Amino acid sequence: MFVLVLALALGIALGLLTNVSIPAALLTYLGVAVLAAMDACLGGVKAALEQTFDDKAFVSGFITNTLMAAFIVFVGDRIGVRELYLAAVVAFGVRLFDNLATVRNLLFHRWGWE
Amino acid sequence: MGELGPRRKLVHLRDESWRRIVESEKAVERSFHEGRLFVSLAVGVLLVGFLLVGQWRGYASLSSDLSRQSDQSLGIIIEEITAENSELRNEVLRLELRMFEAQREEIDRSDLLNEAAKELTGLRVMAGLSAATGPGVVIVIEDEENVLLAQDFVALVHELRAGGAEAIAVDGKRVIGTSGFVGEGTDLKMDGTTLAGSYRVVALGSPSDLQQAVELPGGFTSTLSTFPGVTIEVTQEESLMVPAADTIRFVYGEPIPK
Repeated sequence: MFVLVLALALGIALGLLTNVSIPAALLTYLGVAVLAAMDACLGGVKAALEQTFDDKAFVSGFITNTLMAAFIVFVGDRIGVRELYLAAVVAFGVRLFDNLATVRNLLFHRWGWE
Repeated sequence: MGELGPRRKLVHLRDESWRRIVESEKAVERSFHEGRLFVSLAVGVLLVGFLLVGQWRGYASLSSDLSRQSDQSLGIIIEEITAENSELRNEVLRLELRMFEAQREEIDRSDLLNEAAKELTGLRVMAGLSAATGPGVVIVIEDEENVLLAQDFVALVHELRAGGAEAIAVDGKRVIGTSGFVGEGTDLKMDGTTLAGSYRVVALGSPSDLQQAVELPGGFTSTLSTFPGVTIEVTQEESLMVPAADTIRFVYGEPIPK
């Protein structure tokens, strides 16, 4: 667990140090993609806690989820349904909170707080 | 069951070592699996952190970008800017008006000042405080017999003043408000200075008017010309100079403020 927190901090530090700034045109795509990535990571943590983690599933899920999320926004943009990105946001948002609740429960179980 | 036979013992040993090998293999695989779990998760989380910062920065710079604003907020922005613009225009007009007023005031003031200065200069000339130059007449009076009296000069000065003389000098001495002539013949004096037998009177003003005033029939010239040894010559000049008077001392009178 500690490793993951460290990795997150490292990622943020890296972003701050490299002064990265996403171009305006890609902001919506990347916003949803980040949401998907967060969901994938939380799903990975959940699977690890449930001892069903499969790295292949995680990596492929991470990549396809982010790409698909960005793709959905792109398609919505192209076909004039800009609000399509909301679908991705809602789907990933719901999953995010779901996963978060499960992870919390599993952690509580593990630490014997129940 | 009894004792195990040597053969069974061997089999058992073999099975046991096999089982241990498999278990250690499994342990290795488990730790490997665990390592891969953490590495992949850590990389994923690291990426998320990195992208989050990028997104954050991008959005922060976007909020100041007009091309990404919604129509509604663009409308609000335009309205605000228009209001501000018209206010600034009003301000400009107000300031221009004020500037205009100030300029006019300044012109008025400078006009007033100029007028006052002109008046002062005129007064100084009239009072004899300043030397003056301009057109006028020169009257040369020769009195070989020394018959002229002080009142003749008083009369001359009067005639010249009546003819519009602005400044008068007799023998290079300025005639002012307090000037006076006394004596007669060789003892003729003006303001304490003895005048010679030949007099040169300079008067500034309209040359023709002055000449006319002096040469009026029955006036100064015609009267004095009848005296023995007196010749009077009046000439018009375009540029004459009258010196300033000596310092005026004001002792008894006191000015009354307006």
